[in-house]
Amino acid sequence: MRELLATASGTRTWAAVGELVRPRRGLAWGALLVLLAGTAVGLITAPMLGRIVDLVGAGSSALAWPVVVLVLVAVAQGVSTAFGTSLVARLGEGMLADLREKFVERALHLPLERVEKAGAGDLTSRVTRDVQVIADAVRNALPVMARAALTIGLTVVGIAVLDWRFLIPVLLALPIHVHTVRWYGGRAVRLYASQRVAVGVQQQQLLDSIGGAATVRTFGLASSHVARVRTRSQEAVDLALRGIRLLTRFYGRLNVAEFIGLAGVLVTGYLLVGAGSASVGTATAAALYFHSLFNPINAALALADDAQAATASLSRLVGVTDGPMPSVEGRVRPVDTTIKLAGVGYSYVDGHPVLRDIDLELGAGERVALVGASGAGKTTLAKLIAGVHEPTSGSITLGGVELGLAARSVALITQEVHVFAGPLVDDLRLARPDASDEDITAALARVGALGWASALPSGLDTVVGEGGHRLTVAQAQQLALARLVLADPPVAILDEATADAGSAGARELEEAAARALDGRTGLLVAHRLTQAATADRVVVLEAGRVVESGTHEQLLAAGGRYATLWAAWSGTRS
Amino acid sequence: MKTVRKTTVLKGAVTGQWKSVTLASALGAAHQTGEAAVPLLIGVVIDEAVRTGAGGRLVFWIGVLAAVFVALSLSFRFSLRCGEKASHQAAHEVRTELAARVLSAHGGAAHGRLSGELANIATSDAQRVGQVNLGLPIAFAAVVGVLVGAVALLRVSVVLGLLVLVAAPVLLGLAHFLGKPLERRSDAEQDRAALASGVAADLVAGLRALKGIGAEATAAQRYRVTSRSSMEAAIRAARSRAWLDGSMLAMTGVFLAIVALVGGHLAASGSISVGELVAAVGLAQFLLWPLSIFSWVNGLFAQGRASAARVAEVLAAPPVVPPGSSPLPASAPGRVELTDVVSGSLRGVSLTASPGELLGVVARDPADAVSLLAVLAREVDPTAGSVTLDGLPLSSVESSALRSAVLVAAHDADLFEGSVRDNVAAGGSQVDEAMDAARVDDVARALPDGLDTVISARGRSLSGGQRQRVALARALAAAPPVLVVHDPTTAVDAVTEVSLATGIKRMRSGLTTIVVATSPALLAAADRVVFLASGAVVSSGAHADLVADEDYRLVVLS
Repeated sequence: MRELLATASGTRTWAAVGELVRPRRGLAWGALLVLLAGTAVGLITAPMLGRIVDLVGAGSSALAWPVVVLVLVAVAQGVSTAFGTSLVARLGEGMLADLREKFVERALHLPLERVEKAGAGDLTSRVTRDVQVIADAVRNALPVMARAALTIGLTVVGIAVLDWRFLIPVLLALPIHVHTVRWYGGRAVRLYASQRVAVGVQQQQLLDSIGGAATVRTFGLASSHVARVRTRSQEAVDLALRGIRLLTRFYGRLNVAEFIGLAGVLVTGYLLVGAGSASVGTATAAALYFHSLFNPINAALALADDAQAATASLSRLVGVTDGPMPSVEGRVRPVDTTIKLAGVGYSYVDGHPVLRDIDLELGAGERVALVGASGAGKTTLAKLIAGVHEPTSGSITLGGVELGLAARSVALITQEVHVFAGPLVDDLRLARPDASDEDITAALARVGALGWASALPSGLDTVVGEGGHRLTVAQAQQLALARLVLADPPVAILDEATADAGSAGARELEEAAARALDGRTGLLVAHRLTQAATADRVVVLEAGRVVESGTHEQLLAAGGRYATLWAAWSGTRS
Repeated sequence: MKTVRKTTVLKGAVTGQWKSVTLASALGAAHQTGEAAVPLLIGVVIDEAVRTGAGGRLVFWIGVLAAVFVALSLSFRFSLRCGEKASHQAAHEVRTELAARVLSAHGGAAHGRLSGELANIATSDAQRVGQVNLGLPIAFAAVVGVLVGAVALLRVSVVLGLLVLVAAPVLLGLAHFLGKPLERRSDAEQDRAALASGVAADLVAGLRALKGIGAEATAAQRYRVTSRSSMEAAIRAARSRAWLDGSMLAMTGVFLAIVALVGGHLAASGSISVGELVAAVGLAQFLLWPLSIFSWVNGLFAQGRASAARVAEVLAAPPVVPPGSSPLPASAPGRVELTDVVSGSLRGVSLTASPGELLGVVARDPADAVSLLAVLAREVDPTAGSVTLDGLPLSSVESSALRSAVLVAAHDADLFEGSVRDNVAAGGSQVDEAMDAARVDDVARALPDGLDTVISARGRSLSGGQRQRVALARALAAAPPVLVVHDPTTAVDAVTEVSLATGIKRMRSGLTTIVVATSPALLAAADRVVFLASGAVVSSGAHADLVADEDYRLVVLS
């Protein structure tokens, strides 16, 4: 059962925003005041144009003053907008940086078991999509919204100052705006969510088919794959067009509000001028004010769903940043590097034990190979010893200290290798930040990777990983082993580290793995029995139990399961 | 030739959607005319009703305003819908055509390109090609908007009209000139700002590797540094853009002030009315939009051209090998013969797989195995020597016939999204026997819905060993006359490996099979094993006999 990571409540999310603003209170006030001042100055434009109309109407051509004011207003408005928007960016980007740093730190410290329960996609989508949605909102929506909101607010004030009676038609348009945003908001969020899913599915299909092009050709599957691409792509196109239809209906509704407001302002002007209680200039200014509201209102309302999406993403990030950091207090230093399992059992689902009654001791510096069929529980046992899962029954101790309380941890290298994007040396220094260049080359040499690594286009400074130089699976696995050498843990577990390399690469990797484990207490999950043959001890696992244990020679001599397996596998009767 | 193809792609995108593009253009022009009419009408209402107090005129002109709003709202709505439809639909066609070319039996389109890059061409570039269909109607509408605005202004006053028509483009040109360096700097900074999210995603993707060596704190610390420098870059980018926007705002304001000054003097001297002055200011404001749209559309077209070039390059890629033409006889005995083949690292290899034989091939140097598989799959033709199937050179056989006669199952073959059973059935009809031989039953037992479990794209939701067994079953299900498998069991445990060797032998009895591997379990099951070293055949015989050879033993059993 999927159990997604935590999502914060609405109240908590806003409280978290407050916490991010608090250290930048001065900046926030400064940004607000500058933008407010700029918008207020901008409001002088319409009455000045109205003043020109009145002066002209009175037959005067003394227009110099109002025009000079208009020029000054324009310059002041430009400067304050630039300055204010820069301050908003500093505020928003600072908050964003704090948030994402805290998020990444917490995410990296989440227990692996918790991440796996949530499904691999949950954390990844939070760190990619949610962070991106918030960053987009900070960069695009926030400045536009801030300026639009101020313009709308102050224009309404300006109209009221001009003549409060012009507010009546403006208020007539307001319910339509409110209704339109409500109508659009809910639909847009749902539609855009399904649209994103469809685009993701389309992208996945393209990667799937194009990435597997060789296989598609081998099995003659081209027509069915092109059909799949066509279907996925058409689904995404249809949803995008539905989005456009929704958007145009949204603008259609806003046009109605625009017309009602504008016609109302003109009629009001007609009535007031007719009654002699307002000048033609005032009526003109009111109409121009209202006409100039069209763009900011449309801009602000169109961003309403971006803001809503950003709030939802924010609550997913806050849900994780509010989580606890693992405490390092009360950890005990192990006396040595022996691992001892006593009566260990484990089940993923109650009543279906994967491991039962495992008693096993790994002596300090001993290299033990784990052999068994798939489903025998090899990987689960490796994860238990690495502390990824806690045993359902029994205990695991490292140097006499219970595993969860030990001050040193057990390293685990799995078949899922990852090359970190960036220069190769940076990837390696993740394992030991203070490693000297000599340490790095020594570690690479030890796992047999120095040759190819120095031959890379820019040597060890070559950018590798996503978007950089692509390493082969075998090279990536050697890199993982080099990291292990640098991290220098007393106990290490290697699970399927050679599986994907192909037969020739596998042999080299086996040798590299053996050298990386030198001097450590090591457990390796063996696929090729030759790996078992060179280990200090072989442990055979069957249906969750240890059935044989001893050196390769002892087990061959004993003539048990391992001996039978060796004979069948090697094709020899030695 | 490439330029021709680029224009073919663009032309195809436009002509394929010409109805939508034409309709969008006509409606867009109507919308622009309506937008230009609104400020004019405000001026007319002030002149004819507000100033004179004529109630009838007020009702009439408000009615006209209503009609204009209905027209501009509807024409905008359907213009945008048609334009977007033309854009998305054209992108869809390009995308499908690209997929068909990349997956076609001739191959060659993916040559030298990563799959992510190709997928990107099929999404982003296809979209940019399609967007030309959105840009065309918008450009047309903007031209009409400028013309309508210009005529209206010139009718109000020739002096004012000329002032606006000269000053507005100068203003926009100036903004463009001043803005370009700011924009470039801002874009560069934005790329740097995007780094933070990329690094975060990368660290989370490598979470297991980080936790495996206890590097969480180091990674978090390193992320903080990236995040801070990204923040600085983002702030610099925003600042450039803010000053660009601010100066544009100031210049527009000054421009309007000048229009008001000139218009005011004209109105004061009585050559235009007050309402016409209001309309002129409104029109000056309106004209800035269609004029500014030209540089945007220009950018859109430039992007479209660049993307069309990338699309054309993939579509025009030559096939990897010249396709053959002869058909194959209905039932091929399946005799594969290599005679003095020189190709890649192979230096004169001769070997024969007789009909029905299970032949093992051990390559001491991995490059030899790769070269051998490439000539058998006919991804390359040998530089010297020949490869024949039942006496026919592979290069003469029609490509789809060849692929169904000789199936080369690569070591890193991909699985596809779909159920386990669907994946096996994609190979051929002998599904149950094949799943039995490849022990897919074991795989299914560990999955939540057994054989109906949907595996994610490229089979990433399966472990390496599970993936290999499903891929092997797919190859066996095809039951081709000749099957070549490369390292089919490297991720499978030893117990299962022995059982897979038996399964392959059982399923392939009577059919020609070549197993390229170093696994002793597979080689022990072969009828005969050929040992390759340094690009040549060193020895051949039964596995049990060859293990006496020191070199062979070193490759297979150590």
